[in-house]
Amino acid sequence: MIVIAIILGCVIGAVIGINAPVIPYTYSTFLAIAVVAALDSVFGGIRSVLKKNFDLVVFITGFFCNSILSIALTYLGQKLNIDIYLAALLVFVGRMFTNLTIIRLHYIDKWKEAKAQKQAKPKAIEEK
Amino acid sequence: MTDKKMISLILGCMCILLSAGIAIQVRTIGGIGTSTGSNSTENQLRDAILKTKENYDNLYEALEKAEVKLETERTNATQNNSELTDLENNIKEANKQLGLTEVTGEGVIVTLNDSTVPLTGSTILSDPNDYLIHYEDIISIINELKNAGAEAISINGQRIVANSVIKCDGTVIKVNGQKIGTPFVISAIGMQETLAQVNRYYGYLWKMKNEWNLDVSFERTKNPITIPKYTGTIKFNYAQSQ
Repeated sequence: MIVIAIILGCVIGAVIGINAPVIPYTYSTFLAIAVVAALDSVFGGIRSVLKKNFDLVVFITGFFCNSILSIALTYLGQKLNIDIYLAALLVFVGRMFTNLTIIRLHYIDKWKEAKAQKQAKPKAIEEK
Repeated sequence: MTDKKMISLILGCMCILLSAGIAIQVRTIGGIGTSTGSNSTENQLRDAILKTKENYDNLYEALEKAEVKLETERTNATQNNSELTDLENNIKEANKQLGLTEVTGEGVIVTLNDSTVPLTGSTILSDPNDYLIHYEDIISIINELKNAGAEAISINGQRIVANSVIKCDGTVIKVNGQKIGTPFVISAIGMQETLAQVNRYYGYLWKMKNEWNLDVSFERTKNPITIPKYTGTIKFNYAQSQ
C-alpha cells in the first residue's frame, strides 16, 4: 500500500510538474536546493525504516524544515555574496551517499543470509 | 490500519511535491536550452548572463506597462482641449513614422533560407558561400520592398527604422544590434499589389530562387500582419533643426 502511494504520488507529481508554469531562472537555484534537501530526507526515511526506528513526525518535519531552511540559507548566502548553498549541497549529498551505503549494506546482508539459509537447508534434510 | 493509511497518504503527498519540484526544475533548465558545462567559470558566466537577461526582460515589461499608463494619462489629460488633442495626435503620428509603435495592416511576407541543394564539393567552382543568404541579399530585398511602397518592415521581429543597420556578423546577421539567423522572415506592410512586384520575373527575389537556388518564398497574407515597434533609442546629439 505504501509502495502504491509512493508510485502514485510520483506520477501525479510529475504530471503536475509538467503542466505547472516554469519558474524564473533566478529562483531555480532555490528550487534545486529544496529538491536535494527533500531527496536527502527521503533517503534518510528509507534508512530509518530499514533500521526500524522510523518516526513519521521526525520524517515530515525533516522533509519540510530541511527544504525551507536550505532555501533560507541560500537566500542568506546570496545576500552575503557567499555560496552557502554549496555547503548545504555538500552536507545533503554527503548524507545521501551515507544513507545509500547503509541501505545497500542492509540488503547485501539480507541476501547473504538468504543464501546461507538455502545452502544450510539441504544439509539439514540429509541429516534427517 | 488507519495508521498505515495515514503514512501512505503523507508519503504520497511528499512524493507529489518532490516529483513536481524535480519536473519544474528540469523544465526550467530545459527551457533555457543550456546544459551544465564542466568548467565552473563558464557556468558562472552563463548564470550571470541568464540572470541579467531575465532582469532585462522584467524591466522591459515594466517599461511597456509604464508606457501604456502614460498613454492613457495623456489621453485623459487632453480629452477636453482641442489644441492638446491635436498635439497628442501629432505625437502619435510622429511615433508611427519613427517606428516607435506597433503597426498592423495588409502586406507580404518574404522568407529567405539557405539553399537546400546539396553542395557538390568535387568542382572548384562550387563555393559554400553561394549557398547561403548574405546580408547583401537582405539589404537588396528590403530596398526593393521600400521601393514598392512598404510602410513598415521587420526582419525576424526586428523593426527596420531610419537608423537600422544590417550587418554581417560571422555566421549570423546583426539587425539593430541583435543577432538573427536563418530563416529570415521579412514582413512588410503596404499595398499588396505593388509589394507583389518584388516577386516579379527577373527581379532580385526571382534571381535568388532560380539562378542561385536559394530556398526563398513570397507570400501575400490574407490576414493583416503585425509588425513590432523599434525597441532601441533614437537620439540626435549633433543634428539640429534650424
